[in-house]
Amino acid sequence: MSKSLLIVSRQPPWSGPSAREALDIALAGGAFDLPIGMLFLDDGVLQLVGSQQPGTLQQKDLSANLQALPLFGVEALYASTRSLQERGLDGQALALAIETLDDAALTALIDRYDQVITL
Amino acid sequence: MATLHVLSHSPFSDSRLSSCLRLLGSGDGLLLSGDAVYALQRGTAQRQALDLMPANIGLFALEEDLCARAIDAPPRVQVVDYPGFVELSCRFGKVNSWL
Amino acid sequence: MNQLIVDGRRIALDKDGYLLNLDDWSETVAEALAQREELRLSREHWEVLQLLRGFYQEFQLSPANRPLIKYATLKLGPEKGNSLHLNLLFKGAPAKLAAKLAGLPKPTNCL
Repeated sequence: MSKSLLIVSRQPPWSGPSAREALDIALAGGAFDLPIGMLFLDDGVLQLVGSQQPGTLQQKDLSANLQALPLFGVEALYASTRSLQERGLDGQALALAIETLDDAALTALIDRYDQVITL
Repeated sequence: MATLHVLSHSPFSDSRLSSCLRLLGSGDGLLLSGDAVYALQRGTAQRQALDLMPANIGLFALEEDLCARAIDAPPRVQVVDYPGFVELSCRFGKVNSWL
Repeated sequence: MNQLIVDGRRIALDKDGYLLNLDDWSETVAEALAQREELRLSREHWEVLQLLRGFYQEFQLSPANRPLIKYATLKLGPEKGNSLHLNLLFKGAPAKLAAKLAGLPKPTNCL
């Protein structure tokens, strides 16, 4: 049985390589059928805002790429309720079907995985 | 499975420390390395938050990073060298590096 | 530089034979790319190429084999969305070869 990996993505979408790197790890692992979960924390939840248009920044469309996660076998997708609230995103429609978790549930989530990496 | 969280960024310029503190569970550990040891600077809110962490959370800091920055660790924090870091990494079920 | 000449037009390819400029794609270009691979495109090939172009439109990336199969199952049904069918059509490397013929970038997540 492969070890499960939780990827914690906590950087905003367009200002550096971290969000892209976190997603690439998830897609590559998913393509190899590894049990992967992804958690959006802190500014990472900004990746989930709908209708973003990175074309104006001449960057690859991370939002569109994120939509492919379930097809790559990455269906365990979570976001921090607190991070969403802090950024005024609670109750807003997100670009991804995702489970929102409070702090205690996040601690339990991290505990459940064999390995965790935070980018 | 208990997690050792490893921080290495200054707690004054980003939110890794505060986010991490909220996610620590009973039995988990936190290792401060690099600029993250600035969290132990006296008279700061970060130091206060660490002083108030419950006893079931292990707090560790890398010796050479403390020395280099002239920071004194309180007794609550266990100071480790690199072999100690390795030993910790093995003692915990997994290591979460906050890159 | 690798190139392809279609109807007198030069079309730039990367070292693996993928289009450098995705806008260069047309059905004629696909035929010419297939010829380089010694493949004759049947209706079933075209169906997968269109599917891949749809995938790229939606997700802005080229799928690895597993997601390609999943997506094909979703859109074309299980008879088409299985590795046997896709392997037979595309010489055992559907994600790489079909992406090439559909004018997509080389999939980065399949080794």
